[in-house]
Amino acid sequence: MDMTGEQKISAPRQTVWLALNDAEVLKACIPGCTALEKTSDTEMKAAATLSVGPVKASFTGNVTLSEIDAPTSYVISGQGSGGVAGFAKGSAKVVLADDGPEATLLTYTVKADVGGKIAQLGGRLIDQTAKKLAGEFFKSFSDAVGPHAPDADAETVEKKKGFFKRLLGKA
Amino acid sequence: MTTNSITLTVNGDQVRRDVPARQHLIDFLRLDLGLMGSHVACEHGVCGACTVRLDGAIVRGCLVLAASLHGSTVETIEGVSDSGEIRDLQDAFIARNAAQCGYCTPGMLMTAADLLKSNATPTRAEIREHISGNYCRCTGYQAIVDAVETTAHKRRSSGPKP
Amino acid sequence: MNENIDPRALDRPNSYIGKSVPRPNLPKLVEGRGQFVDDVVLPRMVHVAFVRSPHAHAKINAINGAEALKIPGVLRIVTGRELAAICDPWVAVLVHLAGMKSAPQYPLPLERATWHGEAVAAVVAESRALAEDGIAKVDVDYDPLPAVADMETALAPTTPLIHAELGDNLCFQRTNESGDVTAAFKAAHKIVEATFHTGRHTGVTLEPRSILADYNKGSGKLVVHHSTQAPHMMQGVFAKHLRMPEGDVRVICVDVGGSYGIKVHVYPDEVATVAIAKLMGRPVKFIADRLESFGSDIHARDHRINGKMAVDAEGRITAIDIDDLTGIGPYSVYPRTSAVEGNQVINLVGGPYDFANYRAKTTVVLQNKTPTCQYRAVGHPIATTVTEGLVDLAAEALGMDPIAFRLKNLMRDDSYPRTSPAGMKFEGLSHIKSLGRLMDMIDYPLLRSEQDAMRAQGIYRGIGFAAFIELTNPSPFMYGIGGARISAQDGCTVRIDPDGSVVAATGVTEQGQGTEGIIRQIVAEAVGVPIHTVRVVTGDTQTTPYGGGTWACRGAGIGGEAALQAGIATRAAALRVASAMLQASAGTLDIVNGNIVDRATGAVRMPLAELTRIVYFRGDTLPPDLPRELMQTRHFITKEFPFAFTNGIQASWLEVDVETGLVKLLKHWVVEDCGRIINPQLVDEQVRGGVVQGIGGALYEHCAYSPEGQLLVGSMADYLVPMAAEMPDIEVGHIETPTRESLLGAKGAGEAGTAGAPAAIMNAINDALRPLKAQVLAQPFSPERILQALGKVPT
Repeated sequence: MDMTGEQKISAPRQTVWLALNDAEVLKACIPGCTALEKTSDTEMKAAATLSVGPVKASFTGNVTLSEIDAPTSYVISGQGSGGVAGFAKGSAKVVLADDGPEATLLTYTVKADVGGKIAQLGGRLIDQTAKKLAGEFFKSFSDAVGPHAPDADAETVEKKKGFFKRLLGKA
Repeated sequence: MTTNSITLTVNGDQVRRDVPARQHLIDFLRLDLGLMGSHVACEHGVCGACTVRLDGAIVRGCLVLAASLHGSTVETIEGVSDSGEIRDLQDAFIARNAAQCGYCTPGMLMTAADLLKSNATPTRAEIREHISGNYCRCTGYQAIVDAVETTAHKRRSSGPKP
Repeated sequence: MNENIDPRALDRPNSYIGKSVPRPNLPKLVEGRGQFVDDVVLPRMVHVAFVRSPHAHAKINAINGAEALKIPGVLRIVTGRELAAICDPWVAVLVHLAGMKSAPQYPLPLERATWHGEAVAAVVAESRALAEDGIAKVDVDYDPLPAVADMETALAPTTPLIHAELGDNLCFQRTNESGDVTAAFKAAHKIVEATFHTGRHTGVTLEPRSILADYNKGSGKLVVHHSTQAPHMMQGVFAKHLRMPEGDVRVICVDVGGSYGIKVHVYPDEVATVAIAKLMGRPVKFIADRLESFGSDIHARDHRINGKMAVDAEGRITAIDIDDLTGIGPYSVYPRTSAVEGNQVINLVGGPYDFANYRAKTTVVLQNKTPTCQYRAVGHPIATTVTEGLVDLAAEALGMDPIAFRLKNLMRDDSYPRTSPAGMKFEGLSHIKSLGRLMDMIDYPLLRSEQDAMRAQGIYRGIGFAAFIELTNPSPFMYGIGGARISAQDGCTVRIDPDGSVVAATGVTEQGQGTEGIIRQIVAEAVGVPIHTVRVVTGDTQTTPYGGGTWACRGAGIGGEAALQAGIATRAAALRVASAMLQASAGTLDIVNGNIVDRATGAVRMPLAELTRIVYFRGDTLPPDLPRELMQTRHFITKEFPFAFTNGIQASWLEVDVETGLVKLLKHWVVEDCGRIINPQLVDEQVRGGVVQGIGGALYEHCAYSPEGQLLVGSMADYLVPMAAEMPDIEVGHIETPTRESLLGAKGAGEAGTAGAPAAIMNAINDALRPLKAQVLAQPFSPERILQALGKVPT
C-alpha cells in the first residue's frame, strides 16, 4: 500500500533532523518497538510487535537509512520476518521543510507490504493499520521533539528533557 | 503446559478430564471423548459445523474453551439422537433429502432443534434466518427449510411430544 | 431398517427406477454416525502439518528445524530432498492438448516456493496442535523472487519466467475454428461485443481435505483413508509415484464431506503425507485447516474473455468470436491438468445455438498463485456467461425480447444427431421443449408487468435467462487419450447372498449426491428384490471393481449402467438355476419381491433364499454341469459419443438496490433434461445445490490477490459463501430424453445448476439496471461493482 501525509512539528528543522537519526527517539516512537540498536550510522537492528487484524506477531529485522540529504530528507526502510505470521516491509521518504524558524513541516510518503498469514487474514485491514501505525509514529515523534505542552505528564516531560540533554550533548 | 481439571456432564455421562488451557470444546469432544458426530470445518466461528448444546443453548464448539466447562452440561448430536429428542426432525431430513454429504448435518440439526424449541410456528424466512449461521455447500438450503417446516407442522398437528 | 417407503407408490413390484426413494446413507448421517477421515483413529497415529511459503515466489536457501525438534512431542521435520528419494515427481500434461507444457512437481519443492501457501516443509508430531507449535519454530531462509501475478502480462517479454526450462509462462493455447468468422462479421447486420471476467474462486468443501496413510513395514502394504472422489485413481497414483505394486495399495473413502471436483485432484501435501507414512512406518494423518484450504485447495475460473457476436437482420446469430485468457498456478495440476477448463470454454461457447461460424481461442498462462483445476461444471459457467451475455446484448441491439431471440436461435429438437460449430457431438437435446417448459413455470408476462410497475416506484427488478448445455458420461476422449490413467469405464459386481439379500459393489463413489441410493434402486429393480435387501459397497479399492469414481456427472450414466447390466445378469443366472430346480422352460420364471415366480401368473414358486440355500450349501442336489454363478460383474464404457450432452435453461428473478448495490434473489427456476431420471428428488437436489454454488461465484466468492501475488483471503469472514438467509427457493422442472447409448438411458445432472446460474444472475442484474444504462460483466457482482456501474462510486 502507498500513502502520504504531513505533520507539523514545533521545533526547528535541525532539531527534527537529529531526532530522525536518533535510535532512542525512533525506538520510543515506533509503535510496538521493543528494540532498536544502531549497528552503523545507517543500519539498525530492530524488533517490534505488530497486530494486523487477528494476527499479532513479533518481528525481527533491519532498518536502513538511505538517500540521506542532511538536514532535509532521507528514506527510512525496514524489513522483518514475523516467523509463521509472515513478513512485513516498508519504507518512508521523509522530507523536512522550514515552517518559520521554530517549526518544521514533515512530509512523508510510505510504501508498505505484508505477506504470509498477515496478508491472508488481515488483508482488508492492512491499509488502515499501516495508516494508523504511521500516524501514531509521526504523532509520537512530533510530541517527543516539540516543546512539551503545559499539561503533559512528568514522564513525558522527563523523556523530552532527556532527549534535549542528549541532543545538546551531541550538538 | 497448564492444564485445568474439569468435571462436566456430556450426553448424560459424568466426565472428568484435565485439559490444556488452549483446547477448544470441539477438539475436547472429538479427541478426548471420541464423540466424532460434531465436526470441525473452520475453527473461527463462521460455518457452524461444530454447533453443540451447552447448558441448554447452542454454541460453536470452536469458540468455547474446554477449560471453562467445569460444572457444565454438554449435549451433542449423539446424545440428542439416542434420547429420541429430534427423531421427527431426523426423519424429515431423511424423507426430504435435507442432507447430502452429511458433514453440516449434525450442526444443522442442533440449530434447527433449537429453533423449534423457541418457535413452534416459524415462517420459511424465520427458518432461513435461524440457520443462516450453518454453512451447507451441498443442498442450497431449500430442502433443509422444507424439512424443518414439515417437522414444525407435524408437531403442531400431533400435539405436545411425549 | 427404517425405510420410509410407501409400497403403494410403486406401480409394479420392485419398480424403483424413477422413484424418489430415500437414501440408505442418511440414517447414520443424521445421527452424526458417519465415518469421515478425521473420525478414524489408528494405533500410534501421528499428525503432520506443513510450513507454508509466505512468498508468492522465493528461493528456499535453507530449512532449519532444530528449534522445532526441541518441543516434546514434535517427532520429525521432513523436507523436499528426503521425500524426493522415495517419491517420483509428476508432470500434468495431456498429449491430446497439443503443445501443453508444465514443470515437474514434487510433494515438497526442492528449490523454490512458487505460490503463497505452498507447503515447503512438513512437521510430524503427536498432535496437530503440537505440529503447529513446531511450524512456528521452523526457520526457513527465503530469497524472495519477483512474482508473476497478472495474467494479462504473463507472456510479456519483460515478465520473469516461473520455470526457465519451459521457455515462457504459457501452459497451453488453442484456437477452435470453423466456418468463416471474418466474412460473417463483415456481412453482419449488427455486432455486439463485451469483455467478461469470471472471478477466481474455490470449492470450500465443508469437510476439508483429509488423508490418513498407514504403511505396514512388515507386509509392505499401504492403506490410505482419503477424502477423495476417485479411490482407484489415487491407488494408481500412490503406487506409481511411491514405486509400489498397485496390489499393495488400498484406498478407502467411506464418507466424504463434499467434493465438487476439489477432491479429485492430486495434492502435493497429501502425497507428502503418504510418503511420510512410508518413511515412518506408522499412521500419519493430515487434515487441512480452513486457512490452508484457501491457499492450497485448487482454485478455478479466473478468466478474462473478450466476446463478439454477429447477427443478421432477421435476428439470427451468424458468428461468435471469443478470446479467452486464464491464469492458472505455477504447475498444471495432476493428472487432469489445468488446461481443460480453458479448453472446455472454447468447446462450449455458443453450445445451445444454431449458427455456423465460430472462432474461439484460449490462452492458459502460469502464475505464482494457488494452482487451479477442475471444479464443478468446469468451463461451463464461463462459456454460458459469455454466450448468454452476448445473446442478451444481441437481443437488446435488435430490439427483440430475450426469449424471442432465444426461441429463434436455439437448436431445434428434431435436428439431432448433430455436431456444433465447436465440434461437440449432440444426441437428442431438447432446448425448445425446455424453453417451453420454463415459460409454463414462470408466467413471463406477469413478471414483466411487475417489473414495469416496480420501476415506476423506483424499485429495480430484473429477469435473466441462461440456456446451457452440459457434458456428462465422459468417454476416454476426455482424459484417457491424453495419456492420463483416468478411467472412463466403470464396473459393478452384484452378488446374491445365502439369505437372499443382495450386495452391489460399484466403482463409482458417494460424496452426498446419492450414488449409493441410485445404485441400490437400479440393482433392486434389475434383480427383482425389495430395496431394503440390497446393500451397496463403494469407496474401497480392495472390494470394488476397477472404476473411475465420481466426476463429470458419470455416476448415474456409467456406474448406473454397469449396475443395471450386472443386476440383469445376476437375475438371469439365478433364473437359470431356478429353471433347473423347478424343471420349468427358459423364460417362464421371474424374480419378483425376492421370490421366484411364474412369469405368466405371478404365483410364487419359491423364495430366492431357498434357491441360494441350495446353491451354496446343497450344490450336490443340482445337475453337475449347471452354471450357478450368483455373482456377476459387468463393466460399461460409452462408445458412440465422446460425451452425453444434456441441456437446460434457467431463469433468475431478482431485485437490485441501487443505493447499496445489494442484490436480493427473489426466485430461481431451472428446467433440466438429463435423460432418464433414476431418483427425481436427488436430481432436483443436485440442481438446487449446483445453482446455489453458481450463485456463490456470481455474487460473493472471490480469491482476491495483491499485485505481489499475496492471497488476501484466509477466513470465511473474508471469503463469503452463500448462507440460507440470502438464497431463494428454486423450482425445478424436467424433460426426459433418454440417451440411446445405454439400457438405462441416464445422462448426468450434478453440474447443470452451476453451469447456468451465474449467467442467469448476470443477465437478471443487467436487465434490472437497463433503464439506468448500467451493466456489470465482472464476477463476483459485488455491491461495489454494481455501484461503480451506476456511477455512484469511483472505479
